[in-house]
Amino acid sequence: MRGHVGRVRIFTFGLPLLAACLLALALPRRASAFGDVGAFDPRVLLTGTETEAARPDAPPRWSWELVQRTSAPARLRPTSVRADEPTIVETPFLYWSGARAVSPLTSREISGLRQFFSLGGLMLVDDAAPGEEGQPGPFGKTARGELARVLSDATPIAIGDENVIFKSFYLLRRAEGRVAGTKTLDAVVRGGMTRIIFSSHDLGGALARGPTGVWEYSVTPGGDAQRERAIRLAVNISMFALCSNYKDDQVHAPWLMRRRAILPGFEP
Amino acid sequence: VTTTHLASSSDLPPWAVLLAGLLLLASSVILLFELRRRERGGVAIVTTGLLAVMTLFVAVLRPVRIASRESLLGGRVVVLADSSRSMALAEGGETRREVRDRVMAKLLDRAKEVRFTLLGFGDGISRPLDPSKKPTDGRSDLASALAAVADSPEERPQAVVVVSDGRLDDPPEGSSTEALKALDRALGVPIHVVATSRESPPDASVRRVAAAGAAVAHVPLPLRIQVGCVGLVCDELTVTAKELRDDGPPALLASGLAHLKGGIGTLDLTVTLDRAGPRILEIGIGAPPGDAIKENDRRLVTLDVARERIRVLHVAGEPTNDVRALRDWLKGDASIDVVAFFILRTQSDAPQADQRDLSLIPFPVDELFTEHLPSFDAVVLQDFDAQPYGLEKYLPNLAHYVRNGGGLIMVGGDNAFVKGGYANTPLGNETGVLPVHLDGTPGATPADLAPFTPSWTEAGRSVPLLAPLRAAVGEELPVMPGANVLGDPRRESLVLWQHPSRKAPSGVPMPVLAVAEEGNGRTIALGVDGGWQLEFSQLGARTGGRGHAALWDGLLGWLMRDPRFEPAQLSLPGGCVASTPSLLRAHLVPLGPGATPGTVSLDVTRIDQVSEPTAGLPLHLEGKRRAGESVEFVLPALESGGYTARLHTPGGPATRFDFACETGGDEWADSRPDPNRLKALAEATGGTFLFADEDVGRLPLPPPTRVSSERHVVPVAPPWAWTLLATVALGAHWITRRRSGLS
Repeated sequence: MRGHVGRVRIFTFGLPLLAACLLALALPRRASAFGDVGAFDPRVLLTGTETEAARPDAPPRWSWELVQRTSAPARLRPTSVRADEPTIVETPFLYWSGARAVSPLTSREISGLRQFFSLGGLMLVDDAAPGEEGQPGPFGKTARGELARVLSDATPIAIGDENVIFKSFYLLRRAEGRVAGTKTLDAVVRGGMTRIIFSSHDLGGALARGPTGVWEYSVTPGGDAQRERAIRLAVNISMFALCSNYKDDQVHAPWLMRRRAILPGFEP
Repeated sequence: VTTTHLASSSDLPPWAVLLAGLLLLASSVILLFELRRRERGGVAIVTTGLLAVMTLFVAVLRPVRIASRESLLGGRVVVLADSSRSMALAEGGETRREVRDRVMAKLLDRAKEVRFTLLGFGDGISRPLDPSKKPTDGRSDLASALAAVADSPEERPQAVVVVSDGRLDDPPEGSSTEALKALDRALGVPIHVVATSRESPPDASVRRVAAAGAAVAHVPLPLRIQVGCVGLVCDELTVTAKELRDDGPPALLASGLAHLKGGIGTLDLTVTLDRAGPRILEIGIGAPPGDAIKENDRRLVTLDVARERIRVLHVAGEPTNDVRALRDWLKGDASIDVVAFFILRTQSDAPQADQRDLSLIPFPVDELFTEHLPSFDAVVLQDFDAQPYGLEKYLPNLAHYVRNGGGLIMVGGDNAFVKGGYANTPLGNETGVLPVHLDGTPGATPADLAPFTPSWTEAGRSVPLLAPLRAAVGEELPVMPGANVLGDPRRESLVLWQHPSRKAPSGVPMPVLAVAEEGNGRTIALGVDGGWQLEFSQLGARTGGRGHAALWDGLLGWLMRDPRFEPAQLSLPGGCVASTPSLLRAHLVPLGPGATPGTVSLDVTRIDQVSEPTAGLPLHLEGKRRAGESVEFVLPALESGGYTARLHTPGGPATRFDFACETGGDEWADSRPDPNRLKALAEATGGTFLFADEDVGRLPLPPPTRVSSERHVVPVAPPWAWTLLATVALGAHWITRRRSGLS
């Protein structure tokens, strides 16, 4: 699928997009936090024998979109970390994606992940191969099982557009990725704080864009509009990672209610 | 006194003397009966008979002459003289204290027959009375004084004399007879009372101010104010409640009209105090003409205003890990009410969506930094650029807010300090409120992007506000990705962390974390944006991420004057009485190992602005910190008013303490004497009640006791002489009886 889409569109859109990207990179950018250490880092989590994310080009694109669209600084070259490495505790966000079943976590991996969550870390689990109806694929199912070994009492619950993730920057009606899937995300909430977000929409697939500027995967069934909404969901997840539940503050409530009232598709 | 008298021999027990006397009497009676059988010589029989019996009796008693030197010992009487401030009130040109001293002098005229112990009563237990000392006690606690006399190991008194105006705290007004009797139960002696005053001076006053519950910032506080009026025409009095402020005249908080009935009126007023900490309220009345005591027309009430919740304005220039960490900490504390505004989008960002698809709201800078600013206890500007959002024009407001008692923390980041345009503003200019100078020259370096680990200063190691952090992480700090370039610390600032290599313009290490007192407020400059790494880092993993919360707990706690983070606790053990020296005690945080005790200094200034400068102010005192952890300062006599004391410890931030000095206080609030209470006390305990203008000599004090100091016992005659005399007399009587026909 990746190669097919690339061949079809590379000549149509590739060169203009490449030129636009180069132009954009040439424009002066707002400086970010000191040395980008405190910036958003969609840090790829690797377990078992995995050596890269399911959609390797998704994290840098995610950062790029975030920087372009918002004031948030982000690492344009995201890092990765293995679950059993001591450095897993050095950032507050992890991005775990996959298309295949996860091999059972080792005790060192479980220990590392427990330490990460004990410090208040947030993880996005992105299923790159969900079922047709949006049900979890092999990765999604096994990742949930393995995370249940990491966190006791880690039963995911469905979160919809009432959750702060759906309003942390954009007002979103539903979750979407490369596939439309279910309207909701799943989340593990502990102590009132969301610790794990499960997406069965292949969010990385919608974000992945190669060095030539071509989207690597087609988005179904909504096409570019759905891709845009998927990017917005990714931006919202970033903002949630950086601002926590800021948009749940009471000061925002009247504004958000008014805007949702005029947007189609929202329940009053 | 030397006296001489006769007595029987000391080796005779009393029963033997009694028995001898009975035998003497019986012998005399028998002799009278025998006379009826005589034939003649009745007179001779009686004479010789009685003489024989008497000499026999004397031979048994063997009389001795006792010469002794004796003295009269007066009974012990404890005089309890009222030493409370109400004794300084005057009627008829003479103070109650002067009347009291006159009564004492009259009592002492009887010192030859009575042993007086003069004690003063007021606050707590009684103390030896010093008549030359002004009555300064803030209470009139007679009950405690009586209990102390009863518990004393000294000789129990035979009577107690109380000299007072009757305006007592204990026993209270309206005490029952049983309650008054109970005061004397342990002593069990009569309590005589002399009342110094009969009539009340013409006076209107604020008698009592009571708050319904604790004072909480921003929460209306009901006050119940009782006013009184005696000897004046006043059916109603205007009552005002004002807050003493050092930025201007007292601010009117509430006012009302109290209607008086029977000389007493009660008014409920509700006041709202915006600032937490000690606040001084002035409750005053508009007294009618003829008011004899002006000092009790106003009361100064110190309220320790608590925070129900700390209200924090958190403004961040961009969302970062540091912003998230601080927000999570703020939101995780139920006692903190956070109002947050984060800049999520700038003009250069392209969200590729209509405004209605965004959840963004306008940043209400105008409202926040004008009308709402005083409602916040602290403002956190995190990585925030003042220029693009129109904050610059409100920075004077922010500086004014700090000087009036607000708290400000500027947290570093690419948009903070110099880069944020604060250098030439009321926050960062020469007279700015931030703890550090900022370079405002064109082209000034805003940040040093070289990674570094902040170094602890000596002050940072010792201040209580960083103690929780040091308890969590010890000496270790995470590597910071860079630092805002900060200038020299201001004179009053305290640097807690510094850059290991970069220097400030004066050559001292560049401050990284500095704190300062500014006016009535406090400010903190934290020139890094890597505080979140106290949570997410190898150090954070080893310490369970507790370092971040510990850092902010200390910073915000110090900003809010949480006693846990103050280097000292100040108190006035005896309160402050106007025109009287008072003692201010500072309990200091224990010194760390190896720290050397230094000199601590105290500055006292006046809170309420007065038209003329107060003599002797500002006051600067110094004290030596010795082995103990307390330092005491003797404050000179201060005028009635509100004051601020700031204690400076070497290498530590200042500790502030607000207090009020009143001329009369509670003791003058009700100027009426209460002779009826004194009379009831005397009657209940079997004592005598007198007014001072009556004859104090009438008091029934205990009579003196004779005490022998020297005693000489000499026999009147040797025992053989008495025996011989009795034998001769018995012989003569026997001969007489025989001649008279008796056997």
